[in-house]
Amino acid sequence: MIKLIIDDIPVEVPEGTTVLEAAQSVDIPIPHFCWHPALGKAGACRVCAVKLLDGPVKGVQMSCMLPAQDGMVVSTTDAEAVAMRKSVIEWLMINHPHDCPVCDEGGECQLQDYTIAGGHGIRRYDGKKRTHVNQYLGEYIEHEMNRCIQCYRCARFYQEYAGGTDFGVMGRAATIYFGRQEEGPLESPFSGNLVDICPTGVFTDKTARFRARYWDYDMAPSICPHCSLGCNTVPMARYRELLKTTARRNDRVNGWFMCDKGRFANTMVNAPDRPRQALVDGTPVTLDEALDALATRIDDFLELHGPQALAIVGSPRMDLGGNIMAARLAELLGAGALCYFDTPDQAHLTGEAVALLTAESSASQEDVRKADLIALVGCDLLNEAPMMALAVRQAWRSGAKVYVIAPHPDLLPEGEGTNHTLAPGERVAEGRVRGQLPFPFEHVATLAAVPLAEAKRPVVICGATTEGVEAVQSPPRTAKLAFILDGPNAFGCAELARQHNTVALSTALADSRIRGIISFEADLPRDLSPVIDVLAAADWRPTRLTARAGVFLPTTAWVEQEGIYVNNEGRAQRFNKVMNPGLPIKGLTPELHPPRTHGKAAPGGNVAPAERLIATLMQRLGEAEVEELEFPLLDKEDPLGPKGARGWSSSCLGLKATTPGPS
Amino acid sequence: MIPTHLRQELEQRVAHAITPREAAVDVMKELQRHYGWLTDEAVAEAAAILGLSPLQVEELATFYEMIYRRPVGRTVVHVCDSISCWAMGGETLLRHLEQMLGIEAGSTTADNAVTLLPCCCLGNCGNAPALMIGDRLFGPVSPEQAAAIIADHRTPRPADP
Repeated sequence: MIKLIIDDIPVEVPEGTTVLEAAQSVDIPIPHFCWHPALGKAGACRVCAVKLLDGPVKGVQMSCMLPAQDGMVVSTTDAEAVAMRKSVIEWLMINHPHDCPVCDEGGECQLQDYTIAGGHGIRRYDGKKRTHVNQYLGEYIEHEMNRCIQCYRCARFYQEYAGGTDFGVMGRAATIYFGRQEEGPLESPFSGNLVDICPTGVFTDKTARFRARYWDYDMAPSICPHCSLGCNTVPMARYRELLKTTARRNDRVNGWFMCDKGRFANTMVNAPDRPRQALVDGTPVTLDEALDALATRIDDFLELHGPQALAIVGSPRMDLGGNIMAARLAELLGAGALCYFDTPDQAHLTGEAVALLTAESSASQEDVRKADLIALVGCDLLNEAPMMALAVRQAWRSGAKVYVIAPHPDLLPEGEGTNHTLAPGERVAEGRVRGQLPFPFEHVATLAAVPLAEAKRPVVICGATTEGVEAVQSPPRTAKLAFILDGPNAFGCAELARQHNTVALSTALADSRIRGIISFEADLPRDLSPVIDVLAAADWRPTRLTARAGVFLPTTAWVEQEGIYVNNEGRAQRFNKVMNPGLPIKGLTPELHPPRTHGKAAPGGNVAPAERLIATLMQRLGEAEVEELEFPLLDKEDPLGPKGARGWSSSCLGLKATTPGPS
Repeated sequence: MIPTHLRQELEQRVAHAITPREAAVDVMKELQRHYGWLTDEAVAEAAAILGLSPLQVEELATFYEMIYRRPVGRTVVHVCDSISCWAMGGETLLRHLEQMLGIEAGSTTADNAVTLLPCCCLGNCGNAPALMIGDRLFGPVSPEQAAAIIADHRTPRPADP
């Protein structure tokens, strides 16, 4: 351990720690632009200057570039260091436009914060400013190069961290330009992170430009529902419209980043065709009336067909609370079937996968990033779980060997290290093209051919597919396992399926005894037989089931409620309510907004979480007291640590709960 | 299109490098020698030879001062505008050359004979002010000497075929 003194505080840090990190470890903030915890240092911005008063190095130094050494006495408040930082800010502002009030980044801009913190209020420079022509970078990211302060974070993230090759830094000195060779959409599936890491307004989220300032947003810590990885996010909403989503740091899961698939999928929450009105046989009613009608219909149905004819359907798309309540409802009614998965294959394979995972063997994204050998079996990472591909790339960057297991070379994904026998065109024709993986890999035919035993920290990543599950029936004990499941709560559903007597939905529907179903946020990939009576469907998205439902119950989207998703590794993660449900104000005509009648709910806001709908329904069905769900397993630790979501200020956005595995 | 023998020679050079990127400057210089400047076509060809993306070649091409991404004259004159040369009259030298050639720094004479480029330090501070033509360094250069040097290097327009 290295011992040094920073601002009169004795600090002890491991060898290899920089002075900047050492200061952060005792909550002494040092301004920085180019340094980023995930990207490391570049020594480009010069704003982290400190003065070394005594020890092996003396004078003003860049704290991000300087390794901490024994006997150093560092001052962050020394007049010389403060003056240097002040000058650097003034100099970075020379070419920066004077237009924070009309910049979309204003209010959430690191450069703005440090300019004010450094006391640079009056501009002395009256020369000509450097100006650039901006590029069209696709429908998601806006480019404004004049705002650039040359910290290189974007180019370092895009090429080094994420493996993109179509965006980078051109020119040098005063003409330096961050962009593409030619205008066009950014190709990396992680390009949205440029918005998060740019310390100023060069890259802003085009889907939500000029819609709100940072302090206007409704925001809360949340979890991405678009795949099974459970990346931590901060969705931002205003006026009942989900505007944008940013990544939230969780070192054990997604680190600092998220994928574009999760970031730019906000429209479904605001969609005009989203069902928000409770219906009984197509007639609009209140949620209460719909629940009354459903209770009566259930009683009638049970009398006519008996409980064995009823199936209750939950879903890996729904949060844990909703799915637990679905099981309780099935129990209360003595329903003939409780379903969580659509096909028997999906139910069986997800169950097998979850059964193979224990608290010790389950690999988090962090375990993947730190692995020294990785084998991929039966999964298409870029489509099913893009952030896992980014995690594998980090392992590869630290020297890990990556193997892709496929029975035939033409089944390999695109990327460096393939030995396809068919030409790309032929592979497209055969439907065999998978996304280009952002790391080189070696093709092997079976898992047995991978030298797992020689590695210290091997991880096997598999799809919940026959191929994946079969390959890892008896993996070496040293290897950790990560499964790519289908749905944000697939793990939770598999665990519930294990505890209860469940069948797959398609099996239940094929059984002639089942005459009616009640579904909660379930998807049905094919048409439903006309003999089945959909007593009720609860959902916030239109599906085949909601179209057929006698009683339709609108539910809240994940951002409109509190809940828990259990991710692919068995980590139960709580998400908080971000926004109130209701029709987005934008798009409402003057007849609809402002509302003319007095009410507690906003127009289109008469919706409720599935968990609450089921609890209320159970009360209507005669259950005297519905127990509230409690999750004592979830601890209250905060993996964010003392740093904020974007790395430069402390923030209130703490994750409330995370706990690995059901052990 | 570059001739096959040049492509093969460059591919060999890349194969011998520890990383392809290391051979990038060599490849770009050869292509520039072939085309006169590093054309868009040449950037794409260099990318294919090096196994990089065109953007990654562009990054390197625009970083190096002696790689020309725009057409240049038959002779390119680099005049140092860094601090030592500036202190020793580099500015006067550049203004003089502009007047003499009748062009602004950064452009090419109408007969396509000479391109005049200010450049960063040539590492010839001891002999400031300095200029460079091709691989040859000159310094200290007085305005009169500069005229003579350029006259020496003016290559005649190639005869019409």
